[in-house]
Amino acid sequence: MRFLSSFVAPFLLLAAGAAQAASSWGFDNAKLTVSPKKAAASTKEKVVREFSDKLPILETPVAFSSSDSLKIFLTAKEDGKGKRPHQAFLILREPTLGLEAPFPLIVKDNGMATVEIKHSDLPVQLAIAAGPLRAFLVLASFGSSEGLYKPIFDLEVKLDQAATPIVYQKPLRYGKLAEIHHIFKEGDDSPPMVISIVFMLTILGAYPGLVFAWINFGANLSHLSEAARVAGIAHITFFGSVVAMEVFFYLYYQSWNLFQVLPFIGLLGILIFLSGTNALGEVQRRRLAGER
Amino acid sequence: MNSLISFFVLLFVSLVCAISSSGNRLLVVLEDVAEKQAYSKFLGDLEGRGFQINYETPKSESLSLFHLGEKSYDHVLFLPTKSRALGPNLAPKILLDFINANGNILLALSASQPTSTSIVSLLLELDIHLPPDRQGLVVDHFNYDGLASPEKHDVLLLPPPGPLRPDVKDFFSPASANDELVAFPNGVGQTLGSGALLAPIMRAPSTAYSYNPKEQTEAIDDLFASGAQLSLVSTLQARNSARLTVLGSAEMLTDKWFDAKVKKVGEKKEVSTLNREFAKLVSGWTFKETGVLRVNWIEHHLNEAGASNASNPKIYRIKNDVTYSISLSEYSWDKYIPFTVLESDDLQLEFSMLSPFHRLKLNPTTSSEDSTTYSVSFKLPDQHGIFNFKVNYKRPFYSNVEEKNTVSVRHFAHDEFPRSYVISGAWPWLMGIGATVTGWLAFCALWLYSKPTTKAEESKKTQ
Repeated sequence: MRFLSSFVAPFLLLAAGAAQAASSWGFDNAKLTVSPKKAAASTKEKVVREFSDKLPILETPVAFSSSDSLKIFLTAKEDGKGKRPHQAFLILREPTLGLEAPFPLIVKDNGMATVEIKHSDLPVQLAIAAGPLRAFLVLASFGSSEGLYKPIFDLEVKLDQAATPIVYQKPLRYGKLAEIHHIFKEGDDSPPMVISIVFMLTILGAYPGLVFAWINFGANLSHLSEAARVAGIAHITFFGSVVAMEVFFYLYYQSWNLFQVLPFIGLLGILIFLSGTNALGEVQRRRLAGER
Repeated sequence: MNSLISFFVLLFVSLVCAISSSGNRLLVVLEDVAEKQAYSKFLGDLEGRGFQINYETPKSESLSLFHLGEKSYDHVLFLPTKSRALGPNLAPKILLDFINANGNILLALSASQPTSTSIVSLLLELDIHLPPDRQGLVVDHFNYDGLASPEKHDVLLLPPPGPLRPDVKDFFSPASANDELVAFPNGVGQTLGSGALLAPIMRAPSTAYSYNPKEQTEAIDDLFASGAQLSLVSTLQARNSARLTVLGSAEMLTDKWFDAKVKKVGEKKEVSTLNREFAKLVSGWTFKETGVLRVNWIEHHLNEAGASNASNPKIYRIKNDVTYSISLSEYSWDKYIPFTVLESDDLQLEFSMLSPFHRLKLNPTTSSEDSTTYSVSFKLPDQHGIFNFKVNYKRPFYSNVEEKNTVSVRHFAHDEFPRSYVISGAWPWLMGIGATVTGWLAFCALWLYSKPTTKAEESKKTQ
């Protein structure tokens, strides 16, 4: 990122400057204090830390709760003499997003500078930051003196648990959105195949039982030869038409619609009537003759 | 005959010179027409790319952005003017109407004079904020040019900006072979509101800040902005894809800075500036020569075996398999080229009624000389109703693509439900019907053809 490349260069500058002792900005008598706002009422003590432009960044982060106020005191110096720089900022930077918030220091003519930061001064994105914020100090001015851009401490922002939580709504930015796949309704399920098979077998098992019972009652087809001799065509047509009627019902189930089936069963009905008079007449003859 | 020949000549000429995708009439507004000498290379580059340039001052009475309801120019370039306001012909409302009529504006500001109130009002309308008192200067005590501004530090040297986000294409980084930099001399920084239409091209480095040089105080009283919150070149792309770019430093377009040699403080060697290429990229984007998308055609059809795959039917059925394709081209300087979506970005199709039921990534399938086809196949939801195929592709720096096709989705017809023989729970019933039918036929046969056996005969037999 550009931010990284633009402050790596000043770091190199600083190293070069320290070695060369050219005209450059620095600071002295620097300390930061974190004090609770209502000093008398609270039991917490004031935290005072010192930092310097020669030493690296403070190791332990500075804790900053919502009732505290952070104050920084330092004396800005150009080449060892206290002077007022044009730019004296404390920049708080959130490391994951790279967002920075500047806090200008109030500097007097002799270089003594102070700044006070309260929780309410922090922009919302920094106030809800999960990790510590890094604080940089920038002291620079016009002319050829090298400026100072140095991280001095880490700041851990602790939010008050009891207070209403800060809700931060990210602004709309155009970009791709989450994919959505429609969840289809579950189709109707059939019960397990086993149940179907068991009941099919039960029905199938009823069939031989029926045939067995009929035979026990003396079922036979003895009159078939006599019927065929007397009115064979009529019987074939009649019985065939009854079977054909069932076939048409099956075709209606399988694929035909009503308008295809109706003409056929209409014709079949006529055929059943005509052949049936003869076939059933033959049956009546047998009944009247006492054979039934 | 003569008029026919001249018609064809003119047609050919206009085809060759039509470089911007939205017209080539450019108006340059400057204080004094003689000033254009200072920008001769930049304006010469624009003319070379096919723009017809008219030069006007804000006080000129014949200046009018509209004529009989239509725009008389397609693009406007504002260079810094000394007057307090731009006059009645360039009132903020007229400039807004120009943007709403699809006109593009490139605004160049300068820290040497206060920005005119018309421009400040226009920018405020668009949520771009300028320093208070309409005057500010961006300085950076760590990234300045040691040759040109060793004391004042007001010439910033910046590397090519890079992409705005990982999923946004980078249109504004000139190729920099050996660490060349973009010079930003004497410029005004802006802060942007949080709308989605605003996007910065180039932000100030962390140590830069803006102050008012007219104020005599030695230190900064009221900081306008600093660091990356200060945007040096900002853009707005309206919902109709009209573009407005605010260039904080008009001097970066002058001949002096197109070919300058600069040495950043702390560096050893001199490098040349990238201002010419950067100006070409920024003006090319603003005047719709790059980053313009065009939808060539959209097609959707039913994708099921044995069914008709006629294009764009008006009605589908629930749970149909459907394929949707869209063909996109991108305009790049002078011709349309196939549009390629970045790896980290997706072109998405929404199949939605009131809210999206599907939001799917469109994958590139075929590519031709000037377009790429993106398509996806999916199953329609099991909700019937009126649905829309929506492609809503809005990204920073690309023109907006919003396409909506409406189709009906009907429910199953009475004969499209699964038949009972495929439902295993129905098999016992079917078996029962079969048993009934065969039992009936067997009974008929027995009734017609059987001979009764009497009990006497039976008992005779057993005895």
